[in-house]
Amino acid sequence: MSATPASNTPAAKEALFSRGNQKILRDGLWDNNPISYQVMGICSALAVTTAVNTSVVMSLGLVAVLGLSEAIIGSIRNYIPPRIRIIVQLAVVSAFVITLDLILKAYFYSVSKQLSVFVGLIITNTLVMARLEAFSMHNPPWKSFLDGIGNGAGYGLALTAVAVIREILGSGTLLGYHVIPASWYAHGFVNNGLMVLSPGAFFVLGLIVWTHRSIAGYVEGK
Amino acid sequence: MKGYLQTFIFAFIVCIVCSVMLSAFYEGLRPKIEINAEVEVKRNILKAVRLRQPLPASLKDQQYLDIYKQKIVEEVIDVKGNVVPGKMPMDIKEGEKGLYPLYIYKEGQEIIAYAYPISGFGLWSTLYGYLAIEPDAVTVRGITFYKEGETPGLGAEIEKDWFQDNFKGKKIWSSKEHKVMPIALVKGKVKDFYQDERADHYVDGITAATLTGKGVTALLSNMINIYEPFFSKLRKI
Repeated sequence: MSATPASNTPAAKEALFSRGNQKILRDGLWDNNPISYQVMGICSALAVTTAVNTSVVMSLGLVAVLGLSEAIIGSIRNYIPPRIRIIVQLAVVSAFVITLDLILKAYFYSVSKQLSVFVGLIITNTLVMARLEAFSMHNPPWKSFLDGIGNGAGYGLALTAVAVIREILGSGTLLGYHVIPASWYAHGFVNNGLMVLSPGAFFVLGLIVWTHRSIAGYVEGK
Repeated sequence: MKGYLQTFIFAFIVCIVCSVMLSAFYEGLRPKIEINAEVEVKRNILKAVRLRQPLPASLKDQQYLDIYKQKIVEEVIDVKGNVVPGKMPMDIKEGEKGLYPLYIYKEGQEIIAYAYPISGFGLWSTLYGYLAIEPDAVTVRGITFYKEGETPGLGAEIEKDWFQDNFKGKKIWSSKEHKVMPIALVKGKVKDFYQDERADHYVDGITAATLTGKGVTALLSNMINIYEPFFSKLRKI
């Protein structure tokens, strides 16, 4: 887990996007990416990444849910009785997730059909619980909100990367449009069936974790 | 003691706030969600009966509902295949046995197709769709599957047009053997198995989705037999 700035005391007037706050955003997005560093939220990363459009909607949903619930928890963190803090976190997250599910069903019906239960499963996404417990229980609302946005975006980035690879290799399409030229198929190119199955996501995810970690020079602690 | 009381009060407030927020959202969005579900069902019935004038790719919700109202007559039949007067498919309660919805596609006075809902278990999930039969009570006019949770790219191909188009013109009744012959999926291409009239009762399977295919075959057999009493009355052979 990253070092979380312990700013429990109300800080002196700090700019909205001060250097510290920018770092919070960047942490989730790259330096401490939830998927490839913390290896959290893998379940949904496997499930919804067969096509790019579902993973983009899923990511946007997670950004909204994580940002808002971190902000809420961040603002009431000093009043939450420690014994029931996990339950309170769950209640807040569930409320936002169900709201998101309703909004999807009302305005993005076809996508919500494809995502089916996975929107509801955001509630149990380890990433959400971990950020609430590790970050927003100790940080003010705005910082918590940024942490949520950063981590959600980092999750989305990894998810979209996996989805792009899986959709192109598995179905020959990108966002539903055919991208593999017909001439390739004529020369024996075949859509990779493994890519549309969950095990395919493991391979792609592993490669992405490897790539990211070697670029960032991260080594697992002993 | 004070600590406990505080904890309870806090939990209570959290619950109240969350439930008020959820109820408000649910009530606010419910009309829209219900219309979506209704349009989805009606759009699939319209797709299964293959309208003479094909639907444009995208229509407003209300347009689907209007076309549906113009072209489709809703009826309910009982186990013996008789139309139950005064009943509508929406009157059938969940789990009520012995009543089956029937959707009749008419252009003016002419009946073009009879459609009914089909459902059954695939490999991972329950499959839902509609099957439309021509007025000769023998030939399939169209089929749709609109809800499934099968493996994407494999079993989920049953939602794709290429698979559903295979059913058009197939027959649910064998005039040679004079009995019901539900449509089954073969492993591979039909033309590799049957060249004679038996090919009318089989469709191409989906590669690497044998178990979903078995589910489709089983549910077709089940549903076609349930509606057979009704169609046997229509048949003039």
